Amino acid sequence: MSATAILLCLLCQLFLVGGQILLKRGMKATPIRIGSLAGGVALLAAWFFFWLGLLSQWDLSRLFPFEGLNPVLIVLGASLFLKERVPMTGWMGIVLISLGVALVSGS
Amino acid sequence: MSVTAERRLLLDPYVQIGFGAILVTVSELLLKKGAMSGALLPAGIRWLGVGALASGWTWIGIATYLMSFACWLYVLRNLPLSVAFPLINIVQVLVPLAAHQFLGEVISMRRWIGIGCVLCGTVLVARTAARMEDQA
Repeated sequence: MSATAILLCLLCQLFLVGGQILLKRGMKATPIRIGSLAGGVALLAAWFFFWLGLLSQWDLSRLFPFEGLNPVLIVLGASLFLKERVPMTGWMGIVLISLGVALVSGS
Repeated sequence: MSVTAERRLLLDPYVQIGFGAILVTVSELLLKKGAMSGALLPAGIRWLGVGALASGWTWIGIATYLMSFACWLYVLRNLPLSVAFPLINIVQVLVPLAAHQFLGEVISMRRWIGIGCVLCGTVLVARTAARMEDQA
């Protein structure tokens, strides 16, 4: 897999992370922020088609490690941009889930 | 159980994650059923997948998926994203198990190990979150 392909996969996952963070931002506020929600839905839609495109180019078995990265990336984003606190045991669980997702979707 | 207790259980965000995960699993199965029984498109554009829209199963699948999205928004209103997203990955366990049960798909050894990892991780994340709520 080329460096460009790896970069594309990472970029694709950033759409998912950004989308989920915007959804959370929108739902967290009172009243609910529709603009944020719409932005989140748009990013998730972009992620979905981007991911389908990547799937049509490369085998799923090559792409699965990136699918497994999602929980880790989302929690990193949540602690950076939403200032959520994640204790050590939480991180251990998240890494286990990521590893498990990579194993499940890659076989 | 009293009516208010039942209501409180239904509105519990952790219960809603469970609902959401089950709805996603059901929608995946319905979409697969729809994709297998949809209209057959000409070879050149078959990969588009729009032929599946000819099947009623696909539409029920889409409706189920939208309901799961409503659950997800409710969960996000009430739980940190760093707790909710790792937990919703339980779908990665439910979908292969359901495909095994209802569609007769085979689960490899490696996939069983992955399922075990996700389950252990989910328990760890949920217990950590519960402990933080007790402290708060």
